[in-house]
Amino acid sequence: MTGEFIAPRADRILVTGSSGFIGAKVVEILLEYGFSNLRCFVRPSSRLDRLEIALRRFSAEGCVELVTGDLLSPDDCAKAAAGTSVIYHLAAGFDKSFAGAFMNSALSTRNLLDAFLQRGQAKRFVNVSSFAVYSNRTLKRGAPLDETSPLEDAPQERYDAYAFGKLKQEEVVHEYGRTRGLPYVILRPGAVFGPGKKNLSGRVGIDTFGFFIQVGGSNVLPLTFVDNCAEAIVLGGLVPGVDGEVFNVVDDELLTSTQFLKAYKRQVKPFFSVRVPYPVAYGLCTLWEAYSRRSQGQLPPAFNRRRCAAEWKGNRFSNQKLREKLGWRPRIGMNEAMALFLAQFAPRAS
Amino acid sequence: MVRVAIVGCGKVADQHVQAIRRISDGHVVAACDREPLMARQLAERFRILRSFEDVGEMLRATSPDVVHITTPPQSHYALGLQCLEAGSHVYLEKPFTVTAAEAESLIEAAQRRGLRLTAGHNHQFTPEMLEMRRLVEQGFLGGRPVHLESYWSYDLGDMSYVGPLLGNRHHWIRQLPGQLLHNNISHGIARLAEFLDSEPTELSASAQQSAQLRNLGGEDVMDELRVLLRDKSGTTAAFCFSTQIKPGLNRFQIWGPVNSIAVDLMSGSVIKHRGRSYRSYLTFLVPPLTSAREHLVNAKRNAANIVRRRMYQDSGMKELIHRFYQSICGRCPPPIPYRDIVLTARIMDSIFALIHADAKREAIDA
Repeated sequence: MTGEFIAPRADRILVTGSSGFIGAKVVEILLEYGFSNLRCFVRPSSRLDRLEIALRRFSAEGCVELVTGDLLSPDDCAKAAAGTSVIYHLAAGFDKSFAGAFMNSALSTRNLLDAFLQRGQAKRFVNVSSFAVYSNRTLKRGAPLDETSPLEDAPQERYDAYAFGKLKQEEVVHEYGRTRGLPYVILRPGAVFGPGKKNLSGRVGIDTFGFFIQVGGSNVLPLTFVDNCAEAIVLGGLVPGVDGEVFNVVDDELLTSTQFLKAYKRQVKPFFSVRVPYPVAYGLCTLWEAYSRRSQGQLPPAFNRRRCAAEWKGNRFSNQKLREKLGWRPRIGMNEAMALFLAQFAPRAS
Repeated sequence: MVRVAIVGCGKVADQHVQAIRRISDGHVVAACDREPLMARQLAERFRILRSFEDVGEMLRATSPDVVHITTPPQSHYALGLQCLEAGSHVYLEKPFTVTAAEAESLIEAAQRRGLRLTAGHNHQFTPEMLEMRRLVEQGFLGGRPVHLESYWSYDLGDMSYVGPLLGNRHHWIRQLPGQLLHNNISHGIARLAEFLDSEPTELSASAQQSAQLRNLGGEDVMDELRVLLRDKSGTTAAFCFSTQIKPGLNRFQIWGPVNSIAVDLMSGSVIKHRGRSYRSYLTFLVPPLTSAREHLVNAKRNAANIVRRRMYQDSGMKELIHRFYQSICGRCPPPIPYRDIVLTARIMDSIFALIHADAKREAIDA
């Protein structure tokens, strides 16, 4: 990406969730772009290993400010947002309860936005959301899912507290954009993978019942390698003329669920898995959901039609808007990305 | 139909609304939280018609029959009193209040107004605890309880709970006299209080921090507690709270002069131990077989409850709420005797006083 950014390199930039899997990479790429006046916001209980590695790589331990706090505290938000012109908001709540997810997503975002508008010099707020906010219930299998696709309108029925939190977080950002003139951009990464994250995406299948069940197989995964994803987020905060826009973040040459699982088994460990075709999985989820409703939640509706569709239906994904409006190109191709992801696992004993 | 309001729309509020929906005699009419977004999200998800950020306004506008208070315990006393003064019955989440003095004062206020109160000791009302109580009432123990044991464990692996409180000295749990213990032990203590005849004449308590919590940055938070008590009649009791015991424990055992009962709330089972002796090697054969039969009976009962759709993760809360609403309608006494609520609070006060005294002594010694 060449050309002017909305913020000069001397501007104070805040990154929340900066010690996380994507956040630390965002910090690294900002430093690489020459933005060194960074403020990294972390929870007191956060492990800082990833962030420290990123800072050491650019010898930036001295110039990057580390702020510890809780985004549910307006005072901590004021401390974090003071004097900043761009905020990358990556801090995410992974609470299993709906109220907890709401608190850690929507409420903390509201606090941060209030502080940004009062104490910052707001040029842009980058809200990092998720593909989880989409509903593909009305889309056919294989149909394209893009930024104009419908959002989930019943996250409670999907039994997905994370999606609920992210949806509400987006609502808060949109509202502040509409009513308070907040300049913002929303990025919705797909399934982010890379070294440092070892678990298989739930979009491949589940291991709830003691063995791995692969759902579908030919469904394309909305993968994005962590470096590529982080660069898209960084550009979202800097490229002019995109205020109010939403961007999906997925890489090129996406793999199917079967391709991903095969590569994983080959490199990491062979394990027993059962493949359940999508229509069968959908039927089972329908039954599960019906029993859950009939029994008034004796069996929680963990498997339901909405979740089944969202995770395993199989749609096509595009990064066209990201390329056109942000000038983003994946810095690491899918083959190399997979090699880097798989390299983190110790080689199998022969 | 009992008209219900929820004050405090955090995580626990969801459990309350779901439990109320499972009984036929309750209807949630209002959600209230001083953070309006929290009140709105609960109202939106459960299609509750009205949401409020001010309790006074909510009480005036909706005049609920019952208010469920699911806020941090520091606000229980003031909110409870406010709701009672407005003429509503009150269900207070555990711990009932911060101190026993507050509990007594609140109960007195309710009695003065002819209103009902209950504490969120929902684990007392799980099917297996109800079965244990039925056996005790039928005289299975063969006399007064001789000894009681209560175990309660908590898994520190769930960082969504301990993470925020360890990272923030001002977290409401850190502000409680017993910190993490204060928010967790009331269920386990309430079981003992039910069978003790008076305030303990002897009580010793010892608390420490586990290595795991220390590694997580636990500062001054204690997560291992052992308590020994004796009441006037000589019944003894032991309580153990642990974050380290694996597999996790949620267990109550009561020994009488003839028989004893063990309740495992994790597996939903009640095991009866009969004080019978067997000749010779039969001692090694019959009791294990009897015990196996007991376990089978429990498995069969649980399977039947699942098929009949009676087994919920929060079945204790559903039962407690149902009984509380019945008592409001004048059909029965409050599900938890006020004496038990106060005794639970007093025992907790004594435990934390002892722990603080120990900590002070250690600090002076150091």
